[in-house]
Amino acid sequence: MPLNPQQRINRFEKNYSAYRLIIVIILSSVLMYQDYQGTYTVKLRSYLSASLYPIQYLINLPNNLKKSLYANFLNKEEIIAQNQELKEENLNLKSQMQQIYRLESENKRLYELFNSKPKAENTYLFADIVSTSKILNKHQIIINRGSRDGIKLGSSIVNAEGIVGHVIRDQIFASEVLLISDLEHAIPIEIVRTGLRSIAIGTGEFNKLRINTLPINSDIKKEDIIITSGLGGRYPEGFPVGTIKEISREVGNPFLEVEILPFANLKTINEVWVIQTNE
Amino acid sequence: MNKSIRNLIFTWSIILLSIVLTIIPLPDLINSFRLPWLMMTVIYFSIFNVALIGVLSAWLSGLILDLMAGGLMGENAMILSIISYLSYRFRFQIRVYPIWQIMVVVLLFLSLGEVLSLWIQGVSGTMNLSVIAWINISIAVIIWPIFMGFIQKMESVFLE
Repeated sequence: MPLNPQQRINRFEKNYSAYRLIIVIILSSVLMYQDYQGTYTVKLRSYLSASLYPIQYLINLPNNLKKSLYANFLNKEEIIAQNQELKEENLNLKSQMQQIYRLESENKRLYELFNSKPKAENTYLFADIVSTSKILNKHQIIINRGSRDGIKLGSSIVNAEGIVGHVIRDQIFASEVLLISDLEHAIPIEIVRTGLRSIAIGTGEFNKLRINTLPINSDIKKEDIIITSGLGGRYPEGFPVGTIKEISREVGNPFLEVEILPFANLKTINEVWVIQTNE
Repeated sequence: MNKSIRNLIFTWSIILLSIVLTIIPLPDLINSFRLPWLMMTVIYFSIFNVALIGVLSAWLSGLILDLMAGGLMGENAMILSIISYLSYRFRFQIRVYPIWQIMVVVLLFLSLGEVLSLWIQGVSGTMNLSVIAWINISIAVIIWPIFMGFIQKMESVFLE
């Protein structure tokens, strides 16, 4: 039986009714607000993201497969050369380690002398990158470890060169990491040479962080090394962040504009370590 | 196969395809140039094939994009449902326009989406005005006839 025109219009009207639009707008406003505040919807979001993880994984499969295939197709000479290099590096690192044992025991003794407790020891967990964020100016990556592997929100992420970022969202099988170069990111830092503390803010560019809270008479030089200060309790103390690339003074501005070059190459991260502090 | 089920599968494959296109890894050179594929798909269906999609499915697809791209949960969902509603409201006028006028209307809708997104970003802390987003919108408008032709071809193959 053919529909009359009135019925035909009504059938579509239902899908596009203004009531639905209003309900949907209110619902998404509530969701956005809660997501921004990070209170009630954290669990909901992690379950929803976990259910979409297979699609995420499939999308990034060709890229990740390419990486592993590349490793398989290296020829024999290259592998031998690489092996040789790694052996030398390992020897080098091991000899440095011997120094570290001594320093560590000395440190412990000094702490005992001062009658204070040494800092909590960290555990390290290895993780691979699943994907990097494709949204403009959003510096996020997804790693293949989540709360199932015992990762907590706020754990810091480092790679071989330095600090990379910290976990902001849990996806159960994976977690989302905010990089230190993101516009919304700030990290408490310390300048090794002078012990000066400040905060480095992301700029939205992968190879640049910024400090704009140091007064113009601060003792600071180009190529000073910067580490995490451990204040604020999010990042553990003493991990390398970067070096100072440029210092500029503007007339009339009571603060310095300092540019930092991060040690970690944030654009091409492949594997990372998740650091968790034991309390 | 039942017609409504076939429609459902067709619509959601196109929607999923556009989500995948939005977040698929690309070489560094063209990485920034990601067109708003999902918004284009929603606009197309809301104007030319209203039986396939509604405000709710636009919202749901936006939510999936938000979750997978790592944005604020509900941002794209809200924008897409508003755009879908507006395109539906003006569909009778838009359908009879010549193609260049349809492109102008699409430009308006995509710009509205970008402005809404900037507004939400501004409220939630960091707004970053970048030229690349607007370049992407203009590219999307320029390839709109090809995009429309592609989906119409798909419809003629899979729906009839």
